[in-house]
Amino acid sequence: MPDRTGLAGLLLFLLIAVGPIGFSLGYALLYSIGAVGLLSEGVTGGHWAKLFLEREIWQSFAVSVYVALVTVGATVVVALPLAVGFRRQLERGPLSYLMYAPLAIPSTVAAFIVFQTLSGAGFFSRIAYQAGWIQGTEGWPELVLDPWNIGVLVAHIGMAVPFFVLLFAQVYAQAGVPKLEQLARTLGAGRVQVVRRVTVPVVLRRSFENLVLLFVFVLGSYEVPLLLGQQSPQMVSVLTMRKYAMFDLTQKPEAFVIAIGYFLLASLLLVWAFRKPAEG
Amino acid sequence: MSTSEHPRRGGRIGAAVVAVACVAPFVYLLVLSFAERWAFPDVMPASWSGRFWVRALTGGALTGSFGISLVVSLLVAVVSTAAGFVTAKYVAYHRHRQRLLLLAYVPFAMSPVILGTCLMYLYLRAGLVGTVAGVVIAQTTFAYGYAIVLFTAFWSPRTKDLEALVYTLGGSPAQAYRRVLLPVAKGALLLCFFQTFLLSWFQYGLTLLIGAGKIQTLPLKVYDYVNEANPYNAAVASCLLVLPPVLMLWANKRALSSGGLQVSSSP
Repeated sequence: MPDRTGLAGLLLFLLIAVGPIGFSLGYALLYSIGAVGLLSEGVTGGHWAKLFLEREIWQSFAVSVYVALVTVGATVVVALPLAVGFRRQLERGPLSYLMYAPLAIPSTVAAFIVFQTLSGAGFFSRIAYQAGWIQGTEGWPELVLDPWNIGVLVAHIGMAVPFFVLLFAQVYAQAGVPKLEQLARTLGAGRVQVVRRVTVPVVLRRSFENLVLLFVFVLGSYEVPLLLGQQSPQMVSVLTMRKYAMFDLTQKPEAFVIAIGYFLLASLLLVWAFRKPAEG
Repeated sequence: MSTSEHPRRGGRIGAAVVAVACVAPFVYLLVLSFAERWAFPDVMPASWSGRFWVRALTGGALTGSFGISLVVSLLVAVVSTAAGFVTAKYVAYHRHRQRLLLLAYVPFAMSPVILGTCLMYLYLRAGLVGTVAGVVIAQTTFAYGYAIVLFTAFWSPRTKDLEALVYTLGGSPAQAYRRVLLPVAKGALLLCFFQTFLLSWFQYGLTLLIGAGKIQTLPLKVYDYVNEANPYNAAVASCLLVLPPVLMLWANKRALSSGGLQVSSSP
């Protein structure tokens, strides 16, 4: 029986996603080699050479990878014990509903809350002052706009943990981990061995794609580092936007160089994630 | 007291701590939105007022932003869900399903701000920068990728068999959709509508870029108030921003619990 939805699906795919994004990336690539653009003086590799020469760009990628890696690592460390430890409460009772609530907090609001609570005059600093632990705002450690991006990390981890608690709890149940754990115990494994050899590998292997996606999301995050991140080095999205929006038009090709660099890195990660067998 | 009750009680206390941590950001925002004066080192506001809420709910700038956000997000959700449903069928039944799915992940997973800077030329040429239409189209590109990823799970071999059965029994494609596929997909459609609505509702960077600062959605308002060092208005704007998602996630949870789709599609 003829079904035109297949053709419609293909056309929509080309029209809405592949077409505009493919064209735009092509344009960005041409701009980055000086083939197009207002100040173009012919094809040049000069802008790409800056990718290797300019410290600011390398540092931006390095700090983005650092934030993404720490976020993924800390999310696993926090979310996995919560998911396994509270699996019954996550199935029924108040926690099964309340765990969804933080998913309703967008990045902008998360960054605002972290700023309000962790800054020098923030909520936690006030508690420390009232408890007599600090004598004033100057006694509070630098947790936002700081060199280690602690505020950025707290915001990202705070947003990721509830989602991964729900995901890990679901994976734990669907993969039949309790039965595997029981089997391991029957075969003589200790409590630590069961966790290290069964629970953690099975859950993480089945959540691998989502963890890579989290890495890619954080790598390109914008709102959180814009509000809580330091001015230099900036994370990739913030630096791209800054260079793109500058009055100095000579910075624009660099913005596209960074954009394509990010696109290539993120694409490689996605390809890697999808090639890896998810079954554990 | 028996020893077995200790871990049970420990579990209950732990769950209560986690539950409080889940609710704490909302309580903090509410308190801040009703604060009149809350300076260091006060742990609670020195005085309270509802004037920021009154101003927000009686035709202030926030009412307008709420309206724009609602229109943009509804349009994005409707278009993305409809287009994603159709496209996912093509992707799911294609022999290069995995490769096409990877293409769908590009707009969904990658930074909207970075891809947005690349899209700007196209939108400038099309005269879409600084318009509601431009913001809707740009956001749809990204939400659509998510919709495809989500619906690909729906178009399973079982769904294919169901559709084939309709044709075997003499049904037309229109009947197959109206009588079988759409009713079966109701949960997934609802879930996708919620999620794409939220993707749009939360969007900041892309709206700022394509909207050129003229399309003042709620996330942009929150950021503006934070930049103006106006935390009370920022808190009211934040409350307005998180209220619809809370209601939707509540409904979403029910959809998920009643055998809908997995939560694994979107971190």
